[in-house]
Amino acid sequence: MWTYEKRLQFPVNIRKTCPKTASLIISQFGGPDGEMAASMRYLSQRFTMPCKECAGLLTDIGTEELAHLEMVGAIIYQLTKNMKPEDAKAAGFDAYYIDHTAGVWPTAAAGVPFNACEFQSKGDAITDLYEDMAAEQKARSTYENLIRIIDDPDVLAPLKFLREREIVHFQRFGEAMEKIKSQLDERNFYYFNPEFDKQFVLN
Amino acid sequence: MSNRVQCLQEIQEAGFEIDDLTLYLDTHPLDTTALESFNKARERRYELLKNYARDYEPLNLYLVDPANNNETESYSKYLGKEHFTWTDGPLPWDNQGGV
Repeated sequence: MWTYEKRLQFPVNIRKTCPKTASLIISQFGGPDGEMAASMRYLSQRFTMPCKECAGLLTDIGTEELAHLEMVGAIIYQLTKNMKPEDAKAAGFDAYYIDHTAGVWPTAAAGVPFNACEFQSKGDAITDLYEDMAAEQKARSTYENLIRIIDDPDVLAPLKFLREREIVHFQRFGEAMEKIKSQLDERNFYYFNPEFDKQFVLN
Repeated sequence: MSNRVQCLQEIQEAGFEIDDLTLYLDTHPLDTTALESFNKARERRYELLKNYARDYEPLNLYLVDPANNNETESYSKYLGKEHFTWTDGPLPWDNQGGV
């Protein structure tokens, strides 16, 4: 179960309205490499993860991703809360505005709504951990793309924090992968599913 | 920076130490140096959270204590009445001068 702490993980204080920036950052809310997909990926995969430390890590990273989802939501909210209809039109945010006004809704920047197909829970520890490591790198690249084209320092500060967390998560998932491999036959790590074909797992 | 914002920032810092050390300790549970840092951060964070709840609003439900919360009487619609202090304080996503 979860308990809520009524604060952001890292402060978000944006003074300047900019629906254009919001229309790009929204991808990290509900896009293919966004925080919602990240959190749901890890919190789904953990149930069958055969190594207890790895399941614990998925829970803790999945929980931190929820805090990141909240930060990204706060960024979008602050960028659009004083937006006028003509601002939305000039910024190319008008299609979103028609459907959601200034409400925060999970979608990719390219307009594809959030969808569970953006992540996988394959029920294979090695497959899932490789996906998790790739996901952290993809999110890092997306944050870097955003940081390159955004100028407002109020927006950049939380984006830089979020980018750094992707790197730390990648490192920790890499360590989890080593842990799983240490329970397998080193002559051939990949020839079975350690989550399902449990008779091959060394104890 | 107001005192409230300063206190919140200290909670964010101590909280972040815990967040980062948690992930490290998940994969290095026997690292005693990290464990020591975790303990220090945990104690510091708890102290800060308790003081923040006394001076302002409780940041988690377990610190709700209407008789002893929000001594500075800020951000509350129900001042002077016994009330659920979980409803006090600004929302985390509202940028009101750094909160």
